[in-house]
Amino acid sequence: MSKRTLPRILQTPAVILLLIWMLVPLSMTLYFSFIRYVLNSNIRPEWTSPSLSNWRGFGNYGYVLKAKDFLFAIQNSVLIVGSILIITVLLGLAIAVLINRNFPGRGIVRVLLISPFFVMPAVNAVLWINMILDPVLGLQGLAVGGINNLIDGLRDFPVLGAFFNLWPTLEPISFRASQTSAYAVIMMVAWQWTPFAVLIFMTSLQSEDESQKEAATLDGASPWSQFINLTVPHLARPIAIVVMIQSIFHLSLYAEIEIVSRGSGNKNLPYLIGEFANNNIGAASATGIFAVILANIIAIFLLRMVGKSLMD
Amino acid sequence: MAAVTERSNFGKFAWPVMAWIVALIFFFPIFWLVFTSFKTDADAVKPEFLFRFTPTLENYTNMTQNYDYWRFATNSVITSTFATLFALFVGVPAAYAMAFNPSRHTKDILMWMLSTKMLPAAAVLYPMTFLTKNMLGIYDTHFLVILVLCLINLPIVIWMLFTYFKEIPKEIIEAGKMDGVSTWGEIKDILIPLAWGGIASTALLTFIFCWNEAYWTVRLTTIDAATLSTLIEGNRAPEGLFFGRLSAVSTAAIAPIVILGWFCQKQLVAGLTFGAVK
Repeated sequence: MSKRTLPRILQTPAVILLLIWMLVPLSMTLYFSFIRYVLNSNIRPEWTSPSLSNWRGFGNYGYVLKAKDFLFAIQNSVLIVGSILIITVLLGLAIAVLINRNFPGRGIVRVLLISPFFVMPAVNAVLWINMILDPVLGLQGLAVGGINNLIDGLRDFPVLGAFFNLWPTLEPISFRASQTSAYAVIMMVAWQWTPFAVLIFMTSLQSEDESQKEAATLDGASPWSQFINLTVPHLARPIAIVVMIQSIFHLSLYAEIEIVSRGSGNKNLPYLIGEFANNNIGAASATGIFAVILANIIAIFLLRMVGKSLMD
Repeated sequence: MAAVTERSNFGKFAWPVMAWIVALIFFFPIFWLVFTSFKTDADAVKPEFLFRFTPTLENYTNMTQNYDYWRFATNSVITSTFATLFALFVGVPAAYAMAFNPSRHTKDILMWMLSTKMLPAAAVLYPMTFLTKNMLGIYDTHFLVILVLCLINLPIVIWMLFTYFKEIPKEIIEAGKMDGVSTWGEIKDILIPLAWGGIASTALLTFIFCWNEAYWTVRLTTIDAATLSTLIEGNRAPEGLFFGRLSAVSTAAIAPIVILGWFCQKQLVAGLTFGAVK
């Protein structure tokens, strides 16, 4: 056996498995996206089974493009993924720098900090939307009620009362409402994934060249300029990796969106596909193809960014 | 370890305090979930019992009859374990080949593998249901869940392993070759012991991802192979109802993986670089 054949054989199972995993469903989706295919129809029972005789060409694509939620779902996908990325990278950097030093209880702080990363998305969403963010029964509702009561009490004071009378009564925010449900999703996912960013940045900070920093200190460079000129360039690659891995996971967010508001206001592309798929498989498949295209556009940027330095 | 040593007294005091505050804020939601799980459903929504209440275990003792917790938990353990093992079984040889015998296409193959993870699951859900239910008859089986969990994690597994293996000096593997060690021997006796930390860390992360997976496991199962994600998603109460028992079952759903994570966090931290550290 030549030197080259064996490695190829070793990676073949993985390649073949992933190829099947990608190609079979994808080609079926592609096929369904070009035919009329619905799950239930009393008027046109012939559309309820996939067949080439129900060919619709690009009709499903046109239908999806005109659907009122389509642009909204793309916007939401981008808004949710983008916000989560910005929040987790900035918070992750700050926290990684904060705990990258020796202090009492460092081990426990680290354990507490990374715990959210282990929480399953379904529990995460149930916990945040009910126990924490609920406007009446959650901690948010209770806190707002408590503050209002406190201010009410202060209004009875002789002089200061006039001042507190000017304060408005606070209204709790309903995070199931259509304007705010996307923020609830962003909040809970950012909470869960910030620890991931912290972990990666922390490992990377520990590999930073200390002698460079000491030299900079001797030259009189301020801690801030050291951070900007030495640490941030050192972290460029970890940041790229955090961005890439998270994009992969968050582009397909579903459980959180389902649990928070069943897609009202925070519907992203996967959720829209799910809605179509309740009956109209043709439209769901066409949306799926759009989602594949969007994912590929993003993938090209991200993979280029990371791939460049992968092989050195 | 490149931890910074503080020079000023203020820094000595302020940094740890800030770190502790941030850590407690991040941990608070989990604490609150566990805390609520010891309240009765009625107490859990009353502000006067916010902090002072009579703790009860009834949510946990009733968990089996309310939610059939153990069946779902068993399914989670079985599917996550076998999916992780299977992914390593396929991933280790592949990453070995890519790291030590790279070809012109290795980078492209790796990137392509990662890109399969970007395929929106929702786009292919219907064909998958159709295939597994109507054509293959494996819908709602452990086999299907294990296979799917393995496949969705395989790209990450191979990538993580690849980044570890690349750190191992090629000469060590070459030396084995000179001594006439077989490829299998190379992997078993040289590579695996050397890269043990990386493999363990990959296995851990894969196990966590499998346990927490909430799209495929929920939609490709109904009863027989349903995991804890299905249990939680299916039983989330309407607003304000059953906070106590919902907290208890949620706590029970995340406890195994959170505790595993705590015990193995050193291992995980050491290995979780994805090649970010040069």
